[in-house]
Amino acid sequence: MAETLRRVLSGGNAAGTGEDTTAESGPPVLLLGAQGSGKTSLMFATALEAAGEGCGPVLFLTRRPLQRLPRSTRAAREPLRLQKVRFQYPPSTLELLQLLASTHEVPGPAPCLLLLDGLEEYLAEDPGTQEAAYLAALLLDTAAYFSHRLGSNRSCGLMVALETQVEADGADAPQLTLLQRYFPAKCWLQPEAPGLGQQGCFRACLELGTPGPRAEWTFKFFPDGEMKITPWPTQPTSPSPDKKSSSAGGQSLTSVCDNVSGQFPGPGTAGQVHMQRPKE
Amino acid sequence: MAVALPEVVEELLSEMAAAVRDSARIPDELLLSLKFVFGSSAIQALDLVDRQSITLISSPSGRRVYQVLGSSGKTYTCLASCHYCSCPAFAFSVLRKNDSLLCKHLLAIYISQVMRNCQQLSVSDKQLTDILLMEETRSIKGANGTSLSFNIEAH
Repeated sequence: MAETLRRVLSGGNAAGTGEDTTAESGPPVLLLGAQGSGKTSLMFATALEAAGEGCGPVLFLTRRPLQRLPRSTRAAREPLRLQKVRFQYPPSTLELLQLLASTHEVPGPAPCLLLLDGLEEYLAEDPGTQEAAYLAALLLDTAAYFSHRLGSNRSCGLMVALETQVEADGADAPQLTLLQRYFPAKCWLQPEAPGLGQQGCFRACLELGTPGPRAEWTFKFFPDGEMKITPWPTQPTSPSPDKKSSSAGGQSLTSVCDNVSGQFPGPGTAGQVHMQRPKE
Repeated sequence: MAVALPEVVEELLSEMAAAVRDSARIPDELLLSLKFVFGSSAIQALDLVDRQSITLISSPSGRRVYQVLGSSGKTYTCLASCHYCSCPAFAFSVLRKNDSLLCKHLLAIYISQVMRNCQQLSVSDKQLTDILLMEETRSIKGANGTSLSFNIEAH
């Protein structure tokens, strides 16, 4: 899943370069962020990206039916892609578990991507560690089963969104430590800076759980429902070129985000977005 | 299983697999290494393997799950693709205290994969769903689930 997510964030499709068709979706990703940080929109964009790749249907699970289509790039919202995204709304943890446990009984092509939005709502029902672990493990098992059905070249990605509380001391919630055992790859979403959350300007930071540099992007939602993503430069002195069709709005936004990055109140050191490493 | 184990454990398991291929038994030094890494769980896991307590359950869909008959007579369900076991030791030592990497049942599964002496059982798709759900619904509802008893026969 991490690779598909990276492709979404890198705007790979829009660049038009020859994509590797035996798409390896990468490890399962846990998408983390506070309320309103853009998780559902990013999940939806990823779902459309995977649907566009043509590897199979996409299964999107969430507790409450989406009231309206989440914001996404205009190109991604083709009707053909939307048709491939199957939405299901298990209303309780038990029904979610029943859904996951019985996916092998359902005939038809196996999904190439499984997404779950709002994991925190299901976990809130039963805060015990064994239940949370079982839900995470069953999600992984379901994705593994889909991968098995898809065949040797392909795998089914898994992406789960979890709303986090803004912790004053930045300590990981106990459930998060547990989930990290099953989801070593994490993508954190935060408002770019305290005020910019309202303006729809966010930062995404993808950590694969393996040693290596983190990859970061900023993304911005516009009032008309458009979403633009730009990679965050890893070197402060050399900003990367805008991969999307650059507009004046997009460029000036990146520079605005540049200026305020130093004041970002993350749980880590000033001037850089640092996430707490999971305790081993 | 698809989940990554620490490199030392991966290496140990593949050395064991190679030894079994050559001589159908695990040399003492590998057993000692196993005990070094996993402590007393290693002995208990080896005991479970000796007693043929591990069953790989599969259904026509291709989905699989493991069941291990514990020393107390209780059957525990373990997922085939990632580390999960329904036993209390997993919930406590592995999840809560983060003391151990695997419980003895999961370790027994790994060893039996190496030794290739897993029992095999075929069930219907519906029965597999029930197995996957049984342990969890038992703990969610707090009721005593009916204990699943399969005739475990070696193929």
